[in-house]
Amino acid sequence: MDIKGSVALVTGGGNGIGEAVVKHLARQGAKVAVVDMAQKNIDRVVKDIKEMGGEAIGIQANVTSEADTARYIKGTVEAFGKLNIAVSCAGIIRDGTMLSLDKETGQVSKKLDLAKWQAVIDTNLTGTFLTMRDAAEAMVNGGWEGLLVPISSVNKAGQVGQLNYSSAKVADALMPKIIVGEFLMRGIRNIRCVAIAPGYTATPMLTGMNQDALKAILEDVHLGRLVAPEEIASLIGHCVENQALNATTIEITGGLCYPKGIAK
Amino acid sequence: MPTFTYNDITFTVASSGDRWDLSYALPNGASALAGAGLFAGLAEAEATARALALVKTIFPVGIKSVGPDVAHPNTIGDLKIVGPDVTHPNFIYWNKDSVSCPKQL
Ligand SMILES: NC(=O)c1ccc[n+]([C@@H]2O[C@H](COP(=O)([O-])OP(=O)(O)OC[C@H]3O[C@@H](n4cnc5c(N)ncnc54)[C@H](O)[C@@H]3O)[C@@H](O)[C@H]2O)c1
Repeated sequence: MDIKGSVALVTGGGNGIGEAVVKHLARQGAKVAVVDMAQKNIDRVVKDIKEMGGEAIGIQANVTSEADTARYIKGTVEAFGKLNIAVSCAGIIRDGTMLSLDKETGQVSKKLDLAKWQAVIDTNLTGTFLTMRDAAEAMVNGGWEGLLVPISSVNKAGQVGQLNYSSAKVADALMPKIIVGEFLMRGIRNIRCVAIAPGYTATPMLTGMNQDALKAILEDVHLGRLVAPEEIASLIGHCVENQALNATTIEITGGLCYPKGIAK
Repeated sequence: MPTFTYNDITFTVASSGDRWDLSYALPNGASALAGAGLFAGLAEAEATARALALVKTIFPVGIKSVGPDVAHPNTIGDLKIVGPDVTHPNFIYWNKDSVSCPKQL
C-alpha cells in the first residue's frame, strides 16, 4: 500500500512512539488522525504537522472507552473519507511486583494493586482490541485496503515487575495471527495485521521505569543505546508498503540479548 | 473567518492557502486545533459545512452521567475512595444540539 494518499489513525499519537509514527506517515503524504487523552499533546502534534504542510485532525479520547473508539473512527472517516492504517500506540506502565515481603518477617507486606493491574490491562489490551476491532469494521464496510498495527513490547517475553504489562503485551503480540486467521476464514483479503514489539525506546514512558533496572537492561543491548521512536516509525512505514508482511509480530530492539533468553 | 457554536463550544474555520484549519476555544480561553490542512480546494461555505459535520462526530453533544466507578477505586492504604470518574463508560450520546434538548423540571 502507498503511504501517500492513505489515511492513518494513531492512538497515543500525542507523544513518544505514536507522535513519531504520525509525523513519519504525514511526511510521506498520509492524512492523519492524532488520538490521545492529552489535549496539549494533540495540539502540539497537529500544529507540527500543519507546519510540515500535512493534513491532520486531533481527537481527544480515551482508548479504553467503546464510545470514544467509535467516535474517533467515525471522525477520521468523516474528515478524510476512508481509513487505511490504524496504529495502537496508547499505552501505560504501572510497574510493581505481585508481592512485596517484609524484610524482617518474610511475610507478605504488600500486594500488586488491582487498580494498577486493571489500568494497564484496560489501556494496553482492551484499548488495542477496541481500536483494532472498530478500525477493521470500517475497513471491511468501506472496502478499503488496510493495515492494523497493535503495539506490543519486547517485554512480552515476561518482565519481572511487569506482570500486568507483560500479560497485555503478549496478548497484543498474538493479535496478528488470530485476526488474520479470522480474515482468511471469512474471506476478508483487504486488511493485513502486523504487530510491532519495540525494545527499550527513548520516550517519556521510560522515565516512569526503575532507572537502575533500565541501566542494567541497556548493558544487554547490542546497539548500546535506546531505540529511537523514529526508527520504529520508519519500520511501520515499511510495513505499510510491504504487502508480504502480515500475521506476524516484528521485534525492533537494537539487539536486546537477555541472558539465557529470559527477561530480567 | 467563519465561526459556529456547537455543543457550547465556539469553532473557527480559518483559511490556510487552499486549505482550512479548524480550531476551537477551550474553557480557559485558550484555543486548540481540531484539524489542520483540511478540505483542500473547497470554498468557504462548503468547508464550513464539512467542518460542522466533522465537529458533530468528534464532539458529540451528550449527557455525561458520571457514576461512581466502583470497580476501580483509588486506594490510600486500606481506604478505598470511589470518586467520580471522567473515564466512566456511562455516557449517553445525544444526537441533537444541547440548546434543543428538552428541559425537564
Ligand atoms: N518506550 C518504550 O520503551 C516502549 C517499549 C516497548 C513498547 N512500548 C509501547 O509503545 C507504546 C507507546 O509508548 P511510548 O513510550 O511512546 O509512550 P508515551 O508515554 O510516550 O506515549 C503514550 C501516549 O499514549 C497516551 N495515552 C495513554 N493512555 C491513553 C488512553 N487511555 N487513551 C488515549 N491515549 C492514551 C498518552 O497520553 C501518551 O501521549 C505503548 O503501547 C508502549 O507500551 C514502549
